[in-house]
Amino acid sequence: MNRILVLLPWLLALALLAVLPQVLSVKYYLHLSILALIWVIVAQGQNLIQGFTGYVSIVQAGFMGIGAYGSTLMGLNFQWPLWATMVMAPLITALFALATGYPSLRVKGHYFAIVTLAFNLIIVIVLVNYSELTKGEAGISNIPKPWGGNREAFYYLALALAVSLTGLAALIARSRVGEILLAIRQNEDLVAALGIAAWKYKLFAFVISAMYAGLGGALYAHFQGFINPEIFGVAQSLDAILAVILGGSGTIAGPAIGAFLVVFLPEILRFADSFRLILYGLILVLATIFMPIGIVGIAKAAFARLTRREAGHGG
Amino acid sequence: MLIEILQQTINGLAIGGVYVLIALGLTTVFGILGIAHFAHGSISMFGGYLTYFLATSQGLPVLAAIPVALAAGILLGVLVEVLAYRPVRNANHINAFIVALGLTMMVEGINLQLFGHEQVVIPTGLSRVFRFGGITVPELRLYVIVAAIVLVVAMMIFVERTKTGQAIRAVAENRDAAILMGVNVRTIPLIVFGMSTALGVAAGIMVGALFAIAPGIGEGLVVKGFAVLILGGLGSFPGAILGGTVLGITESIAAGFISSAYKDVIAFVVMILVLLIRPQGLLGRAP
Repeated sequence: MNRILVLLPWLLALALLAVLPQVLSVKYYLHLSILALIWVIVAQGQNLIQGFTGYVSIVQAGFMGIGAYGSTLMGLNFQWPLWATMVMAPLITALFALATGYPSLRVKGHYFAIVTLAFNLIIVIVLVNYSELTKGEAGISNIPKPWGGNREAFYYLALALAVSLTGLAALIARSRVGEILLAIRQNEDLVAALGIAAWKYKLFAFVISAMYAGLGGALYAHFQGFINPEIFGVAQSLDAILAVILGGSGTIAGPAIGAFLVVFLPEILRFADSFRLILYGLILVLATIFMPIGIVGIAKAAFARLTRREAGHGG
Repeated sequence: MLIEILQQTINGLAIGGVYVLIALGLTTVFGILGIAHFAHGSISMFGGYLTYFLATSQGLPVLAAIPVALAAGILLGVLVEVLAYRPVRNANHINAFIVALGLTMMVEGINLQLFGHEQVVIPTGLSRVFRFGGITVPELRLYVIVAAIVLVVAMMIFVERTKTGQAIRAVAENRDAAILMGVNVRTIPLIVFGMSTALGVAAGIMVGALFAIAPGIGEGLVVKGFAVLILGGLGSFPGAILGGTVLGITESIAAGFISSAYKDVIAFVVMILVLLIRPQGLLGRAP
């Protein structure tokens, strides 16, 4: 009974998402929904390192950029088929994450955050200045799209990937590796004292989270058909952090809900126009102060209180 | 060649002075409160813009605009402490960092509302150039270096020699013991934030006078400030001074000899190399 109750919201959400393109009459919302599904992938990756391991990385958008440019440039320069480059994108990102994760994971807490942020800045500087390859700030347009740019087909591709990668994140979280990651978040010294090489697990979480971002970036490039360095700046890395915090850090549903929020919230706040940045910052501050457990955390607490009351009536 | 290196070193000292001021503010806040005050750079930028605004559209002389901007900065710093950081004091430290990220967005947004998108240069009217042998030193750059040294010395005297400074160091050393000794731990954070923000605003004004300020430079400034902390060693004043100077000169020489487009990359690579060899920083104590 309990198990069904837990699965029910997931099945409902999945059913809703599956019929969404059929019921949406405004094409712009379909466009936003695809972006949100891409962000689900990016945020699930961010959650692995931020939520489960407790290391706030600020390079997720930079890794998206590596995936996006990697896939696009391989297609342009080697004429490789789109599917091949999209599979290669997360692998290339993983190599970068290995090289950057090793030095940055030697420091903890804020300093890890700052070092990863420096990596994001480096990625953007290189994308802007290495213009022989990247075409600089102007960016690359006319990136090939699958199915000739059919949005509905792309929606189902993004949905399938978002669902399976959310499932993979859940599997990792429940495995022994996931338990060790949680233990690192709680008390890293204790983990080390137990004779576990914590750095291997941290590096694993960091690389996997980067691969999620790399795939997200490649999807983004082949969905929008246009990329430039600005899209992969620190501001977007902050969006990934915001998605995890708003939805619920260290939960599986949290990043998915958070991803939809960070894509749709700016659209809803569009009326505020130039005050958007201020409002957005205010939401982040207030959310961290007043609901640090996120939407999923609050929902769980409310659900627990509700079932307890019902059980009380029965007894 | 030698002349060129000397020239770039002098240039680097000016920007290094800016980094030292930013880093000293960050390191005090971190030492006392354990907060990575990411909004520090945006507030510095805000101070620079405010000075520009007072000196141009309000017609104030620059020397009168600077104290007003410093006062406004101190007030903003204190407000940030009370309204945003104090509520998350006892939560996980990473929450304070995320609050800081939100604050950064807010300050950037408010700055855009008040001062617009334009890149501005604070008009100082100081345009003389001194020559020593083959080296040219613009008057303004010299004053910036001197002002930075004066501010650093003043802060060191405040922290090392006054009773309030002693209380600040006591809280950094051992918060609970400081409370037992009668230190008011509610006012100490306010003093620390006021002092740090004043140093940050001073740095913002220097950037605005030396180069230019534009929306978004706050982020670059604060990241450089943290790079200095990582270079010099967390919580170490001498480390911040050494780290800032080293970073400024490295950047300047890299810009002169390698590539000005990649000077930031080179600065970050130096930081990462130091991290690999000495994770505790140049002058930090081993953990």
